[in-house]
Amino acid sequence: MSEDFNENKTIQAQSSETISGGETGVAPDIDYVRPAELSDQDLYHGHTFITKWVFCQDAKVIGVQYFLLATFTGIIGLILSWLMRLQLGFPGAAGFMTAEHYYQFVTMHGMIMVVYFLTALFLGGFGNYLIPLMTGARDMVFPYVNMVSFWMFFVAVGVLLASFFVPGGPTGSGWTLYPPQAILEGTPGSGMGIILMCVSLILFVAGFTMGGLNYLITILQARTRGMTLMRMPLTVWGIFTATVLAMLAFPALLVSALMMTLDKVLATSFFMPTILKAGEVLEYGGGTPILFQHLFWFFGHPEVYIVALPAFGIVSDLISVHSRKNIFGYRMMVWAIVVIGALSFFVWAHHMYVSGMHPWFGFFFATTTLIIAVPTAMKVYNWILTLWRGNIRMNTVMLWCLGFIVTFVNGGITGIFLGNVTVDVPLSDTYFVVAHFHMVMGIAPLMVIMGAVYHWFPLVAGRMLSEKLGKWHFWITFLGAYSIYFPMHYLGFIGVPRRYFEMYDSPYITSAVGMNEFISTAAFIVGAAQFILIYNIVVSLKMGKPAGKNPWQANSLEWLTPSVPPEHGNWGDKLPVVYRWPYDFSVPGAKEDFIPQTTPPSEVVETEVEKT
Amino acid sequence: MSNFIKKLFGTLAEKPWEKEQAAIDTYHSGKTFNLSMQTSAVIVIFGLSTVLFSLILTGYLYTMPPEQDTKFLFKPNLLWINTIVLFFVTYFFSKITKDLNKNNTTQIKKNLILVGGLSYLFLFGQIFFWYQLMQDEKFVHTNTYFSSFYIFTALHGLHLLGGLFFWGKVCSKTLKLEQSEIINQKKNISALSLYWTFLLIVWLIFFSTIYVFNDAFIAWCKTILT
Repeated sequence: MSEDFNENKTIQAQSSETISGGETGVAPDIDYVRPAELSDQDLYHGHTFITKWVFCQDAKVIGVQYFLLATFTGIIGLILSWLMRLQLGFPGAAGFMTAEHYYQFVTMHGMIMVVYFLTALFLGGFGNYLIPLMTGARDMVFPYVNMVSFWMFFVAVGVLLASFFVPGGPTGSGWTLYPPQAILEGTPGSGMGIILMCVSLILFVAGFTMGGLNYLITILQARTRGMTLMRMPLTVWGIFTATVLAMLAFPALLVSALMMTLDKVLATSFFMPTILKAGEVLEYGGGTPILFQHLFWFFGHPEVYIVALPAFGIVSDLISVHSRKNIFGYRMMVWAIVVIGALSFFVWAHHMYVSGMHPWFGFFFATTTLIIAVPTAMKVYNWILTLWRGNIRMNTVMLWCLGFIVTFVNGGITGIFLGNVTVDVPLSDTYFVVAHFHMVMGIAPLMVIMGAVYHWFPLVAGRMLSEKLGKWHFWITFLGAYSIYFPMHYLGFIGVPRRYFEMYDSPYITSAVGMNEFISTAAFIVGAAQFILIYNIVVSLKMGKPAGKNPWQANSLEWLTPSVPPEHGNWGDKLPVVYRWPYDFSVPGAKEDFIPQTTPPSEVVETEVEKT
Repeated sequence: MSNFIKKLFGTLAEKPWEKEQAAIDTYHSGKTFNLSMQTSAVIVIFGLSTVLFSLILTGYLYTMPPEQDTKFLFKPNLLWINTIVLFFVTYFFSKITKDLNKNNTTQIKKNLILVGGLSYLFLFGQIFFWYQLMQDEKFVHTNTYFSSFYIFTALHGLHLLGGLFFWGKVCSKTLKLEQSEIINQKKNISALSLYWTFLLIVWLIFFSTIYVFNDAFIAWCKTILT
């Protein structure tokens, strides 16, 4: 911790005295802040279109760039899911679709949605836009490196999509890319497809590292005066912890992608045991595919929380602002984020129960998996208790937040099912698992993204989104998502396996036929409903109601910039000074039901502290 | 470390909504650690790279198959010389750090060039060792022992090259500076020095692992015991 920590102890006595003297009059130093220690950041301001909007060093522009590119890849992922559902619901309806195509679409859909859409959007998009604003910094600490980070991501996406156009097409080995089949003939895209996938992942990790470096150091070292760690909004805590996880987990993805590339290109055998093909011994030998599984899931499970933790943080802030109440159990929320982050590194092998592991190993990972449910459940209780007796504004943002809580609880509970070895083994590789992870790390975080878009769009664009369109968007998505994934649990229970192109003549699962048609129809509708948001954004950019400053009457710093949308450098001539935490809503004694973080104590001396 | 953990938990136990705590918090500078941005960046890279190298080592230990021909590494070879070169780089960096405090400009500039030169020598030595291995028909695909060796040394070399890129930037600025201005580069040079120390530690761990955890060494130990 900083050396000034000890100095704080000295000030503690002074400040306490000052505060206790408040009844007889405000002491002159009640609003005192220390002089700025850091010299103001020297920023590069672009003047041409290229330096201002393309190769731009402003974190906000980079955030929007990340957001747009991630959304673009997300739409590709969505189209791939439509094609898959078309085949599953109405086999043969898409005439061109072969089994190879299906596997390639499954693989690309999974990888795109998890890595190139959700991760990039939460950390690259929201992280870049919100971290400097919420912590009171002018920009990220290394703006040039931050810009390079986005362009690395851009190249990574380009390489990934290029695999659609190479001979053999993209890899069809499933998003887990398990060797040996991923690189052996017979698997779709086992040539250039898998190589491009690995190269793209390596580029993504390299690019993310540059961004992550910025997020961590900006949060830790470049906050404005008065912004202690425990005064940061939970959004920043979520993004911060997720970035720490990413910095520790992505090397595992990098190593596995690198080693697999070498196995493919240079015939090394990191993951390749001795293999016979058509009676002939291949040149591989000495490696083990289980090592890949360990490496992949050492990345893969924290990846769930890399997506979930920013969502937890964001939804906490949205719920607090739109129910006009301080977040219930702020400290507990921070602890839960940190504990979930730490525990997420001790649960990875619950994805490998059917890999032939020792039963005690399974027992250990089942235990840690169930333990992680404790801090997660605490968060759910706290969200509900924040809403309890709040002055709830039932707007689009709140609807998405409520949708998230319900969906997350649903997906979380099935996760507790699957965390137990004895339950997981029969359900492994069935649609129950597909339903579980789509609910918990697909739909639930997506609902937070949607809520966040409706919440922060006025800040980014200076105009409000249409509430009416927003509510249509929400209800179609919410009801549609449940129409897709609730029946999928049933499909899993009756034993329908995942990753099958077609069920062929399977009389024991005839009931799945109608259900698959229903699910597919719902999937088409839900996918199409997302274009309501795109339409809403396009129309509102020109014709939306002007947002003005702080339209939601929030307390956190991003709404307190001199101009909306904020300019490069965020704060005009002077950096803000923070006097309070960001959750002073409906404080007894205050004139309004919110007290922004920059309001000095002398302006609200009559207020009473609420216990939390 | 215990102090750090104590303060970390102390921070997490704060109640920011209480007026007494608010008065303390308002006095906060906004900086968590008393470190420069450059040093902070190096520490973050440490964390990331430590995981990266640890996973490769773990992978090596996980896949270490029996009866691999690793005797080549036991013959007197260039790796030992390269290790000594890397030691010298770290030694000269520590001298630079001391000279920075004394403001000994000439010596700083001289040693800064020396550490760069020695680092390039280390890289050249590593590449030449690869050449020797290949001459002896020990390729990257020969067995998992050599696969791990090549990948680890390649990644270590890439880290060093990354460091040399920043060394080049810092060096070109520092060499132009007068005695009174050299202190402006102190944070950059200290961060570089820290980074090279990390690279030395990583190398030493790897160097000892490939010697200790391999079939030939284990067989040799057994002969001593029996």
